[in-house]
Amino acid sequence: MKIDIQNLSHSYDIQVLHDLNLNLESYKSIGIIGVSGSGKSTMLRIMSGLESPTSGTVRINDSDVTSEEYRRSVGFVFQSHNLFPHLTLEKNITLILEKTRGMGKKEAQEQACKYLELLHLGDQVHKLPKNVSGGQAQRASIARALSIDPQVIFLDEPTSALDPVLTYEVLSAVKELRSTGKAFVFVSHVMSFVRSFAEYVIFMHDGRIGEMGPPSILDNPSTPELRDFMEKEP
Amino acid sequence: MGQISQELLKPDRGRRGPSATAVSYLLVLAVFGALAWFVVARQNRPFDMSTIAPYALNIAEGLGLTIRASVIALVGSTVLGFVFYLLSSSSSKFCRAFTDVFTEIIYGTPLLVMIMLMAFVIGPAFGTTSRQFMGQLGLVIYMTPYMTNIFKSAISSVGQEQYMVMDLFGFTPFQRYRYIIIPQVIRILMPPLMNNFSLIIKGSALLNVLSYRDLFYEIALMTNNTFRFVEGFLLMWGLYLLITIPLSQLTKWIDRKWGL
Repeated sequence: MKIDIQNLSHSYDIQVLHDLNLNLESYKSIGIIGVSGSGKSTMLRIMSGLESPTSGTVRINDSDVTSEEYRRSVGFVFQSHNLFPHLTLEKNITLILEKTRGMGKKEAQEQACKYLELLHLGDQVHKLPKNVSGGQAQRASIARALSIDPQVIFLDEPTSALDPVLTYEVLSAVKELRSTGKAFVFVSHVMSFVRSFAEYVIFMHDGRIGEMGPPSILDNPSTPELRDFMEKEP
Repeated sequence: MGQISQELLKPDRGRRGPSATAVSYLLVLAVFGALAWFVVARQNRPFDMSTIAPYALNIAEGLGLTIRASVIALVGSTVLGFVFYLLSSSSSKFCRAFTDVFTEIIYGTPLLVMIMLMAFVIGPAFGTTSRQFMGQLGLVIYMTPYMTNIFKSAISSVGQEQYMVMDLFGFTPFQRYRYIIIPQVIRILMPPLMNNFSLIIKGSALLNVLSYRDLFYEIALMTNNTFRFVEGFLLMWGLYLLITIPLSQLTKWIDRKWGL
């Protein structure tokens, strides 16, 4: 995955990202860490095209992230599963494939089952979101993100609403997805997951990139901010 | 002693099987049955339903009119309630203020007062002498803000995150309504809508003050002729419950089956 960020700034009521520049190539999974309010979620949302930056340009794999075409080519997993509550896990996927990707009914169904099985939900496909556990629902939403065959999958603290057991269950499933060959960009507070899944880590601090590098920087931080952050890890 | 404490330690203590539940309900029904028997037995005339049998047809017609008036009020207030919902969520400050004031006025008005006002004050001002029509319209208008309210809460229950997901996958506006918003809103809307239907059925009894020949009117008229108050009013009560209780059970069932 190629990431090219130039002079990226973003503000809501206050400025959350300050003139970011980033140029990365060939990493398959990138983890973004930092304290709440450091701008990591905003950065992820801008990279995914969910939000347009106030100023600056962001290009992923040579596409401008504000283009409609790019937006349709990425998957996004939210903090909560955000499945449509009136549809079964399978329908949550087939509806999107049929209506927004023009896929035939049968093909959509096969595709949905394939990805739900990949996330170990083969026996839950006909259940409503309210009738499965939080971890299963979150895995289904990951399957939904995968089903459109995205070039990049963004995960925004996908386990922050889950207890440790369900967190483990979801993150193990994500790790297995490495075999799909997809690129991942994720925000997570679970450091063991960041260490084992990320090929590259970006530490955000006060709307700027505090430090970045391979996961080994977590063990040998060179900035006082990251050292401070890592010392507070539970 | 040992056995008792074993029983207390069971994790599902307090949860009884379906048969125990059925027994509890039967017991409660028996208590109410005994109360009814007591009330009937204390009257100074023997209880005799056959005395009101000749009026069966009139009562059935009254029941039919009660249902008709209620269905009209349900449909009317649902449509009008939706229009008011649109007004209350419009960008026009006037429209929002209008629905706010309207709601406050209706919430503060007793239904009986509403019906009398419509029939005797507002109707004539608009040149209509049909009190029953105005009474029916009063019931519709009285229920409108309650309907607006359930539209509001049902439509707002489709959370912001779901709109984000629809954006993300590129749903067209038509697809959003057709596949995501309306199907959810209908499921959320059904139980409170049916509760309101029950309110309407009960409220429709007040239309009798305008000589609307509904269930209440027919039976009250019959008791005036026969002096069979006990039989008449117990039958009336039973008939209302015969509609409203199954309705509320159906509502609960739908909520369980469809609830999100």
